[in-house]
Amino acid sequence: MGELCRSTIFFSDQHLCYADILPPSQVRARIEVAVLNFLKALSSNSPSISDLSLISRNSSNSRVSQGLLTGDSWIFLSHSFCTRSLTRENSAKSFIRVWKVMEMCYQILVQEKRVTQRELYYKLLCDSPDYFTSQMQVNRTIQDLVALLRCSRYSLGIMASSRGAIAGRLLLQEPNKEVVDCSTCGSSGYAISGDLELLEKLAMETDARYIIVVEKHAIFQRLAEDRVFNQIPCILITAKGFPDIATRFLLHRICRAFPNLPVLGFVDWNPAGLAILCTFKFGSIGMGLEAYRYACNVKWLGLRKDDIDQLVPEESLVPLKPRDLQIAKSLMSSEILQDSYKEEVAAMVQSGRRAEIEALYYHGYDYLVKFLATKIVQANSL
Amino acid sequence: MEVSSVQMLYTHVIDFLYSKTLIFCAVQRCRLADDLCRLSVKLTSFSRFGRSLVRISVSDTGVGSKLEEYQYLKYRNDAVLTNQWDGMISLATTSISDSEIHNLNLNLKESDSAGRLIKLPSTAKNGDKFSGTEVSVSISKSLDDLLAEVTCFLQKMILVKIPASSFLSLICFIIRIKCNYLLYRPLSYICLFNQDPYLSWLIVCFFFQKVVMELLVGGNDPLGSQIESRILAIEGSSAYSPVESIKCLEVGFKDYVRNRHTVFSIGETLKVGTGVANSSGSSQGNSQVVEAVVIISEMSEQFPSSCIREQDMKMEVLYFKDFVPCSIAQSAVDALTSINWKSYGLALRSIADHDGCIMLEWENLPQYFHVHIAIHCYHRQVKQLVAQNSLPDRNLARKAVKCALDDLKENNHRVLLSTRALKICDCAPDLAKTLARLILSSNDLNFQEECCSLLGLQSRRVNMDNVGNCIRDKIVSVIGLNDRNSQKHKDAPSFLFEDDYLQKEDFMDEEYQEDEEAYNSLDL
Repeated sequence: MGELCRSTIFFSDQHLCYADILPPSQVRARIEVAVLNFLKALSSNSPSISDLSLISRNSSNSRVSQGLLTGDSWIFLSHSFCTRSLTRENSAKSFIRVWKVMEMCYQILVQEKRVTQRELYYKLLCDSPDYFTSQMQVNRTIQDLVALLRCSRYSLGIMASSRGAIAGRLLLQEPNKEVVDCSTCGSSGYAISGDLELLEKLAMETDARYIIVVEKHAIFQRLAEDRVFNQIPCILITAKGFPDIATRFLLHRICRAFPNLPVLGFVDWNPAGLAILCTFKFGSIGMGLEAYRYACNVKWLGLRKDDIDQLVPEESLVPLKPRDLQIAKSLMSSEILQDSYKEEVAAMVQSGRRAEIEALYYHGYDYLVKFLATKIVQANSL
Repeated sequence: MEVSSVQMLYTHVIDFLYSKTLIFCAVQRCRLADDLCRLSVKLTSFSRFGRSLVRISVSDTGVGSKLEEYQYLKYRNDAVLTNQWDGMISLATTSISDSEIHNLNLNLKESDSAGRLIKLPSTAKNGDKFSGTEVSVSISKSLDDLLAEVTCFLQKMILVKIPASSFLSLICFIIRIKCNYLLYRPLSYICLFNQDPYLSWLIVCFFFQKVVMELLVGGNDPLGSQIESRILAIEGSSAYSPVESIKCLEVGFKDYVRNRHTVFSIGETLKVGTGVANSSGSSQGNSQVVEAVVIISEMSEQFPSSCIREQDMKMEVLYFKDFVPCSIAQSAVDALTSINWKSYGLALRSIADHDGCIMLEWENLPQYFHVHIAIHCYHRQVKQLVAQNSLPDRNLARKAVKCALDDLKENNHRVLLSTRALKICDCAPDLAKTLARLILSSNDLNFQEECCSLLGLQSRRVNMDNVGNCIRDKIVSVIGLNDRNSQKHKDAPSFLFEDDYLQKEDFMDEEYQEDEEAYNSLDL
């Protein structure tokens, strides 16, 4: 699961920081080493309270890997650290949060279970209400633990529930289960499990010629209902917003299994839409220790500036929100983004407007399929 | 012109402080003398024209008095003062080289300097070699009130023992009172009452290297012509061993605190810190020394809080100048306000002046926890004319008090932890419990054994409580250690895991990065 062969070839390993995917016994061993080191420092002749050094998950620690042969690029994290220390007033609580999550994970692994982030949140909320107040905080602390122990979230026994769905010309089979034909799953498609091990074991078969990554659930549903895959032999996949690791994982698996299928992204014309596409394409910083493995070479099918100019009436354009501008700013400053994408972002900002895919319905409710078909035939993707 | 301490005293309290001022000068005269000295304070009540008066006489056998000592005393024209004192000072003084005792009256009410001084007939010394001074004033105040003030003053006076030079110094307070008055809360003294129904002599003795008892047979004559005195040595070695002034202050102050709170002394523990700061020399060339003693008294929590009085929550700062208790100098007050009390886990609510006594009130102190401070500022070189001494240096006072606080913190675990460290200590039990649960939930016995061995526990007898408590105590101890050392040097932080890259970059993160990408929050 997740071999590094592709990623080790044309850049130096010494810059890459990654989270190992490990069996439970090895993760337990790492946790035990953490505890023993802490106690050793505490009980030594010049006793001290060890600080936790965590790989920084911010843009200043992100690096870009440019694949030379494949043209693929992805984001990874390097060796910058942030420190959580008990001896500093402001980070004392976040220091203890990491240990609390570590304790929970250790117990989960000893019991050979898996829990979701949501389940873990409620457990921590009841156990330590002074330390955990929100799901977001729990999720961040889990990432701190990943950054400390350098093992993947899944290895820690934690799953994140997936919002992803897949539909189209794909046959999936879980071990010892019936084959599922994703073209007959209905408009909601086949729900992608949060369990990476399960996804790893899926057997897959396809006769599709394209993979279409769709930003929004509504568009996914419309396309599935219209059975776009009967007109364009394709697989539809969506994460219903910002892509979770499981959806990215499955997409990556499909890409590896069927390398000749181009992956096309279909997102709204706004910075957030492009950011979602880029996450599938390059990976992300927040989970940068793991996400780099699941980057796929996604091409931007639409919506793009030309589409807006030609197909979207003026009335359908709405102003950009402040958050859009923030996202635009970080996209523009990202070194991984190719110039053509940056031009698009600049155009978005300059116009001050954005457009959703639904704006295409102006041309009729079945227009989406025509739009996709035209774009694919024209090979009009960035 | 600098305001001398004499004038400062004057402006604060009217009547009894005259005797304090007079005692102050007497003490300096004794310090200047090489020989054994005696200093006596007599309070004699009498009546004149139907009014009850008390005669305060301060006599010493130090070097002779100089008239300049009194030139800065000014008679302030206010109703209360006028009612209590006529402005007259009787002075009898002689230096060792003088052939007679000079007798003078000083009328401070007289503005004309020529008219102030009234020379009286001298008393012949008949070839005897001695020096000394007696200064007397008569004031209209109740003897009981004065006696209470004297007692309080003497209790503080004990704290600062004047270091002996080449000879022993004995300072002995003799209080003559009428009609068998009892002295309040005697300290280090022996009292004797004679059989005279009208007069009793009370002798209070202080000891330095030797404890002495003065037996005084009282008579009606306050000048003591019928008094016989015998000085007996009770204990002590004959070998001279100088005791540092700061040590005397420390010991004296501890006794003072214990005796002050005798009701609470059961179950009370005292933690002491001392500090000394020296100046290299003031503008007048007389270097100053400031000594500070800080005592933390903590009663056992079982003591009922109803026994704590409101006034016990405010602590008086004892201040001494040149070996005499004094009203605190403004520079010392400034020094106290300028200290960063937060780094000692304290928050000063107020500094209030009550009749020349400075009371400190603290925020959020537990009821059984008190902070006592004594400051002594003196000049190395004794000056007879106290006006020649410069005012105490604020920075010096601050430095001395800080040294005392640091000394206390250094030598006492978990005392005066900074506010920051206390906050962190609050989290220690949670962290300890988490680690204990992790260890005990393991099914790897080797791991558990190794943890126990590091903690110094026997693995067979471990449970959540003892493992948790052990870890907690270690964490708190390290926090205390770091807190004490934080001013001195910062050790390189130790990390949980070794990493070759850690030396390259290390920046401290508070909570989460400010510049997180706008959509990073979704990426989880």
